[in-house]
Amino acid sequence: MSGDGQAQTTRTTTGERSERLAALLARIALSDQRAFADLYRLASPHLYAVAIRIVRDGALAEEMLQESFVSIWHHAGTYDAAKSQPITWLTSIVRNRCLDWLRRREIDTEPLATNDDDAPAWEPPSDGPSPVDLLLAAADAQALRGCVDLLESGPRQAIALAFFHGLSHRELASHLREPLGTVKSWVRRGLATLRRCLDAAGGAE
Amino acid sequence: MNLSRPDRRERLDRLAAEFALGTSPPRVRRRLATIARRDRAVASALSEWERRIAVLADRIPATTPPPRVWRNIEMRLGLEPDRVPAREAGWLRRVAFWRALSIASLIGIIVLGATEWRRAPVVVPAPLVVVLSGADAKVGLIATATRGERYLTLKTVGNATPGQDKAFELWALPQAGAPQPLGVIPQGSVVRVLLKNPVDETLSNIPTLAVSVEPPGGSPTGKPTGPVVYSGAVERMY
Repeated sequence: MSGDGQAQTTRTTTGERSERLAALLARIALSDQRAFADLYRLASPHLYAVAIRIVRDGALAEEMLQESFVSIWHHAGTYDAAKSQPITWLTSIVRNRCLDWLRRREIDTEPLATNDDDAPAWEPPSDGPSPVDLLLAAADAQALRGCVDLLESGPRQAIALAFFHGLSHRELASHLREPLGTVKSWVRRGLATLRRCLDAAGGAE
Repeated sequence: MNLSRPDRRERLDRLAAEFALGTSPPRVRRRLATIARRDRAVASALSEWERRIAVLADRIPATTPPPRVWRNIEMRLGLEPDRVPAREAGWLRRVAFWRALSIASLIGIIVLGATEWRRAPVVVPAPLVVVLSGADAKVGLIATATRGERYLTLKTVGNATPGQDKAFELWALPQAGAPQPLGVIPQGSVVRVLLKNPVDETLSNIPTLAVSVEPPGGSPTGKPTGPVVYSGAVERMY
């Protein structure tokens, strides 16, 4: 258990940050503008990074972040500290906003993109850590240490690409050059493995 | 389709997992989001999976958004401009101040800092200034901060730019030991780098700041990977 000290420190700072964010959300629910500005300062760099990863465009990520914070201002009162960590709640708002945008675009382009080998495939961004690197980095720091290792390479790559870059089943299939059915079952199996492992590792944190 | 029925639990769990991961087809996404608004079993399946999945996002390197994002949010919500940044931005934008800065010695900066200090009697900012210059002694960036705040304000002087598809990253250089990353400097003439801790704590044993050229998200290794283009001594006015 050599990593214990480190893990302890990480947990403490995460805990402090959570308390602070939860307190700010409670004040925002009462229309406290100062608290809203503080929350923005604390959380926006992480949330902006999440948005950039998914939509892969700085200007669009800014728009997603703006819309998310407008929504946070209006819905802070629905945050329930008993149900989720504040950063999880905030991250979900941003992720869902980005994913909705991506999927909306997908509907628009659906007829063109299906069964078309010449359709421009999704290209991974060349800069920064790859999705699989990020997944492993997250695994390094979290209870999911070991859980990610349980994933075979197909499911691991599919989950990393879906999570960090917002790829849909169809985009995953075309990017990984595998049949749609295979990719779907990779995602399903990968998620089931993560779930078992995370819940066993005390995912209730 | 009643997803809350016990025999549908497994199906709900799978749909919720794919929703949280983001791979669900658009129609399923919309459908689930709508159902979750009135069905608590569905809502809690979604939030359970969002919690499991969100831990994956923890290690994405944070990126400070450009200041215009916050200004737009304030505008859209009709909020009163945040008092502190507004006052500071006014100070930072004043042409005379920056013209003087770019040519002035550090003494000049201190005098101006002190003038500013007297002008704000209510909140007493104890400023901290770092003039970051390159090998040719040309000033590229000026960092300022107010004690107790959790951010540094950076003003670009002249045409300092990291180049296409690159970013400036700010580092704290301790007396001994490795450089500590403070964050990527967003593009813009006056920007902020947010800190995890108050300025005085973050820079308590830091005599020097430096700026390196890195990939857009910042150094992937936690150490400077590109050339260090600017550095400067941390001057405390308190």
